[in-house]
Amino acid sequence: MKKKIVAVTSCPTGIAHTYMAAEALQMAAKKMGVEIKVETQGSVGAENVITSEDLREAHAVILACDTKIDEERFAGLPILKASVQDAIKNAESLIQKALNMERKNFVDEVYKVKSERKEKAKGVYKHLMTGVSHMIPFVVAGGILIAISFAFGIRAFEQEGSFAAALMEIGGNAAFSLMVPILAGFIAFSIADRPGLAPGMIGGLLASRIGAGFLGGIAAGFGAGYLTAWLKKTIKLPKSLEGLKPVLIIPVLSTLIVGLGMLYVVGKPVAALNSSLTSWLNSMNDTSMVLLGILLGLMMAFDMGGPVNKAAYTFAVSTLSSGQPSVVMAAVMAAGMTPPLGVALATILAKDKFTTEEREAGKAAFFLGLSFITEGAIPFAAADPIRVIPSIMAGSAVASVLSMLFGCTLAVPHGGIFVLPIPNAVSNLFMYLISITAGTLVTALILSTLKPKRSE
Amino acid sequence: MELEKLFSPGCMSFDLRSKSKIEVIDELIDLLHKSGKITNKEKFKKAVLKREEEFSTGIGMGIAVPHGKDSSVKEPCIAFGVSKNGVDFDSMDGKPAYIFFLIAVPEDSSDEHLRILSFISRKLMHENVRNKLFNAKSFEDVIDAFTESE
Repeated sequence: MKKKIVAVTSCPTGIAHTYMAAEALQMAAKKMGVEIKVETQGSVGAENVITSEDLREAHAVILACDTKIDEERFAGLPILKASVQDAIKNAESLIQKALNMERKNFVDEVYKVKSERKEKAKGVYKHLMTGVSHMIPFVVAGGILIAISFAFGIRAFEQEGSFAAALMEIGGNAAFSLMVPILAGFIAFSIADRPGLAPGMIGGLLASRIGAGFLGGIAAGFGAGYLTAWLKKTIKLPKSLEGLKPVLIIPVLSTLIVGLGMLYVVGKPVAALNSSLTSWLNSMNDTSMVLLGILLGLMMAFDMGGPVNKAAYTFAVSTLSSGQPSVVMAAVMAAGMTPPLGVALATILAKDKFTTEEREAGKAAFFLGLSFITEGAIPFAAADPIRVIPSIMAGSAVASVLSMLFGCTLAVPHGGIFVLPIPNAVSNLFMYLISITAGTLVTALILSTLKPKRSE
Repeated sequence: MELEKLFSPGCMSFDLRSKSKIEVIDELIDLLHKSGKITNKEKFKKAVLKREEEFSTGIGMGIAVPHGKDSSVKEPCIAFGVSKNGVDFDSMDGKPAYIFFLIAVPEDSSDEHLRILSFISRKLMHENVRNKLFNAKSFEDVIDAFTESE
């Protein structure tokens, strides 16, 4: 099969060089027996536009551009950047270089997207995610140790001095009680740097003491962060006393204000909100479970690890904060696993509709799915969003609803398939696996039906 | 392709006298000005030189395509010139340029004109087209050089 290269040419005025570069590339490709499609972004607008079909077949991308162009659509393909002049002068060597480029490793690609998203995150969302990501290890450690304690019998920890009791002490009392303070502390840290940590953590601890839980912790974190940042900026002291500001004045003032705020202002209403949310979750009937399941499922798949996904995920983690295994957490993890799993299965079911590279990538996506890394579906979704995103949203909704209806619960916030063997980490394990499998099948079947046959 | 929309016999010189880059540009702008295609020589020249500052439009292979987009241009047009001795145009390949196209485009031009320009740009990459242009003696020869190879 002839190797195919796609290219974009674009110069500042877009009158002459754009087209000369395009012609030079086409002439060189013809001579070298390489298939090429060159999109010109000149003053007439984009012509000979590269389609998602072209991208699927392409080996590499040449960007011969002196203007800024959107590179996002080429995610997953190796990109060779050059100037317009390079293309006019050295078209053949550019094409040779592009041919020699390796398609990036699929797993690397997924992690690259993850870290880029982290860097791009801004404002409130970034602060919240800083808090959540610091909190997760506490929830994982605590959740798993509690689950193991249950393995000795659901009431084994009540026996004083037993191993089960020790596990419960470590997981339930120590790890879980740090969860909300860490969340609040690192939200504040993200906003106001180091001075935010103390008022944030103290506010968070107060939130969990007064029953304001997760929501109270978020309020404390943001309150402490913005307050501290403001104090840092506003308090002006004579030079001789300046040294006291970070060690004495800011910590005391900010902690006092946040603490009083939590106890007398924010605490009660948030605690009420928290308990009504908890009781609503506990008393959900089938209809509201289905609705919540659909909503969370769609959210988990919609942007595969982006803000919408993280909103659903954070909500689910918050339901763990009482130390009880959670139906919501189980549903959300199932919904987050099926997108990469479903796409992977589709590459097997409909072999002829995917390129060799995509079928290889499918294998990697399978393992990312098992590990609950929803981002594993991104490279597929980037190449063909119209077909992939609805397919994975449908599958995730199915997995999430089934998991809820079967009453599956999960005691840990992460881990994918690898936490399932831990006794009591998941309740109703068999039905949970059925839910994930069903969601995977739905995604795979829809996607392999929607995908067009590849024209060779 | 209606190349006649951009080229005109009055805007062609088959024996440019200029010895330097700036002189060539002046000489070609004169042709356009005399034919009434541009209203303000100095203003248009500024636009062309500004473009040259980004990087030279001497694309190598003996060709240079200085161009400017400016409100002093009435309608899209091209001045064509050949220099038998060649002129140093700071070309990418370091060699002199022999064939010149000075392209003038008004601030807002129709897609049709821009398409013709892109057509010409692409043609210039082909060696046989360049040879014909270098040996052109008349308006018709230039048009033929572009159309015959179609």
